Amino acid sequence: MSYKCSRCKRDVQLDEYGGVRCPYCGHRVLLKERSRDVKEVDVQ
Amino acid sequence: MSAEYDVEFVEREDREARFLVRGVTPGFANGIRRAMVADVPTMAIDTVRFVENSSVMFDEQLALRLGLVPLTTPPVGEFGEDETVTLSIDVEGPATAYSGDLVSSDDLVEPADENVPIIELKDGQRLEAEADAVIDRGKDHAKHQGGVAVGYRHLQRVEVEGDLPEFEDEESRIIRGVIEDDGELVSTSEFDHDLSNRYPGKEVRIEDVPNAFVFHVETDGSFPIEELVTRAADTIAERATELEDAVQL
Amino acid sequence: MMVPVRCFTCGNVVAEHWEEFDERANEGDEDPEKVLDELGVDRYCCRRMLVSHKDLVDVVSPYQ
Repeated sequence: MSYKCSRCKRDVQLDEYGGVRCPYCGHRVLLKERSRDVKEVDVQ
Repeated sequence: MSAEYDVEFVEREDREARFLVRGVTPGFANGIRRAMVADVPTMAIDTVRFVENSSVMFDEQLALRLGLVPLTTPPVGEFGEDETVTLSIDVEGPATAYSGDLVSSDDLVEPADENVPIIELKDGQRLEAEADAVIDRGKDHAKHQGGVAVGYRHLQRVEVEGDLPEFEDEESRIIRGVIEDDGELVSTSEFDHDLSNRYPGKEVRIEDVPNAFVFHVETDGSFPIEELVTRAADTIAERATELEDAVQL
Repeated sequence: MMVPVRCFTCGNVVAEHWEEFDERANEGDEDPEKVLDELGVDRYCCRRMLVSHKDLVDVVSPYQ
């Protein structure tokens, strides 16, 4: 899973041991990046 | 259809027209109106594939906006119900993505309006998407409505009955639509919708002309007015033959 | 956020007039009634779409 730290804007990889925390600045708010897949949407 | 069937244009512009139809029943007039709104197939975007969207709006919101952009509809028989036309859009901020930025794979299907803003993109934001347009009817989704604000009124005949009593106050008589005066068609906007402007000091009587209807039709740009009306009539004919075939033993 | 593409009530395309309307009536000091008349937005259902609209892209964009 790739996340982005909301304070230092760096990419963060999370594993199951480290908890939710940015390894570079210690910030606990991480943002999930948009997937690179093409997303298909129906017009409704 | 009766012998005195007749169509006459009162006003005629690119996307808006008023015309008089004589010799049709009220039921048929309403059938035409309903067919223009809900039964004439038009092109519209139905699925969107987002490659990149870093704008402030969600994919679904942008998909809806793209779907509502009117597209020109190709001649009858050119496209089947299940065929698609692909349109693509690629805009990088700072800029605004307009419907005119949609690049179509087919010259027959283009955005009818170029200046519809889709999304305002700030510095570094980008919208890249591919959209499939399909042909469908207004009753399935409002984006497929070819006719906008379609309506009709009775043609009204005005007859002068005599003079008003000398000392009576003149009251305004508001009327909207088109009136028939000695066989001449006059839009009520010519006298500010007030009969007392046209016949000052006269007593007038208004009556509906039987089986004569003044249609007001606007299109969203999918096709010209004539095309919309004739296609609407065709869909009614199609349904009628379908019914005839169905009830035949 | 962005102007609705079509009028909610009648389905007429109104978004194409938004930028000119905004420039002349909201940013400028022209009378909105006259601007709408000149743009050919005649019905009150379509007029309210433009009159009551507020662009919010600039408000939300810092929170991306």
